[in-house]
Amino acid sequence: MTGLVWLCRRETLRVSKLWTQTVLAPVVSSMLFILVFGLSLSGRVEHVGDVDYEVFIVPGLITMGMVQAAFANNASTIFQARFDRYVNDVLSAPMRPWQVNLGFSVGGIVRALAIGISLLVLAVVLVDVPIERPFELALAIALGLVLFASLGLVVGIYAETWDHTSFIQNIVILPLTFVGGVFYSVEVLPSPWEELSHFNPVFYLVNAVRFGFLGESDVSVWLSLGVTAALAIPAYAWAQHLFTTGKRLKS
Amino acid sequence: MYREDPPALELRGLTKRYDDGTLALEDFDLKIPSGAFFGLLGPNGAGKTTLISAVCNLLRITDGEVLVFGEPHDSMEARSWVGLAEQDINLDRFLTVKETLEYHGGYFGMSDPDSRADELIEAFGLQAKRDVRAPKLSGGQRRRLLLARALMHNPRLVILDEPTAGVDFELRMDLWRYIRQLHSEGTTILLTTHYLEEAEELCEEIALIRGGHLIARDSADGLREHFGVTKLSDVYVKAMAS
Repeated sequence: MTGLVWLCRRETLRVSKLWTQTVLAPVVSSMLFILVFGLSLSGRVEHVGDVDYEVFIVPGLITMGMVQAAFANNASTIFQARFDRYVNDVLSAPMRPWQVNLGFSVGGIVRALAIGISLLVLAVVLVDVPIERPFELALAIALGLVLFASLGLVVGIYAETWDHTSFIQNIVILPLTFVGGVFYSVEVLPSPWEELSHFNPVFYLVNAVRFGFLGESDVSVWLSLGVTAALAIPAYAWAQHLFTTGKRLKS
Repeated sequence: MYREDPPALELRGLTKRYDDGTLALEDFDLKIPSGAFFGLLGPNGAGKTTLISAVCNLLRITDGEVLVFGEPHDSMEARSWVGLAEQDINLDRFLTVKETLEYHGGYFGMSDPDSRADELIEAFGLQAKRDVRAPKLSGGQRRRLLLARALMHNPRLVILDEPTAGVDFELRMDLWRYIRQLHSEGTTILLTTHYLEEAEELCEEIALIRGGHLIARDSADGLREHFGVTKLSDVYVKAMAS
């Protein structure tokens, strides 16, 4: 287990050494969303259901900041390790594949939690966001982080260039997050956009987190958690498969 | 009761075919006794780095068996017995010199690597660079750090893949001194090199490989006698031409 502990330390150290990029920048940009969208639009869109608009968008923005950080961190750390070939130091060490998978996942999770907690503190101070269902909230965040941390590792392992990791981040994850109901309730969308939103996996994660904060969401929290778990488990298994077989990591 | 020590390294029918079809090693057998200083010589593409990567679990072998001190090479025990300094500099860009050694020690199961890291920093003359990150080191300092990292967890078998490639004369002498001292303390060394004089100077036994096959194996004197020549360079030319 010593190897796993040190790999976790290394991944956490990487996040802390680059904290202005890894934590501060995403917190600032998410806060700008809360200020610009929440406070400026709240004059026009006062409530979504029974919730003030600036409070309504906070869970989605926290989700967005966290999952993007978990993905980006893990995609870049494993890609960099492959690119500079210092991953060999880990692959040759007496560590089991599940330990390597877990160790490389930790950085993204730590970074996402640092962002999430910072945003939560700021949101409580600025817009007095509640936490109505802490158990569901913790479960939703745990599943979401497993999903996106694992996807980051998978993409970082398959990527041939830096462009590949940023392509998935900017062309797939970011748009799915934006249309996943971060800024609106999908119930206000006309057909077929409302129905199509239900095919977006991020929609379920945003709603599970929103339920944890506000106690209400567009769909059942258990359906949201079920869909997120149904994606997180195979994503983790996929990353595990790559570390176990050495595919794309070992020639 | 007499019990023979298992060889430091034993390859049985090792075969590696890469995904693009290249056959890098074919049915390769090799035994390196415990405590030996063993050299591996061959041109680029002969299969030297493939062999080393197979031992260190850095590639997926196609067929065959690799044993380290009698244990399968992918067992946790065997992994902890091997130290590798790769040919290319592959240091973690986020870590300082001290951290590079400490984290490596940690990956290899050392719970308190601090004092060992300090010891190696001093032995390799890196005291002034202790808190400097790898990308800011000179080429020679990186090479020293690479070797120090390979030795960090006190491995029983140290594999050095062209450790003196591209380094100046002074550093080469320094590295030779470190490696000799290591061997005198009982560590088994497997060295690959392009420099024939280096192999002759350091190695007790030399294997010549070409195209993924073992061509010859003996001491430098034995090889000269076998090929009927007076210089190791002539041995190399004859062996590679045959």
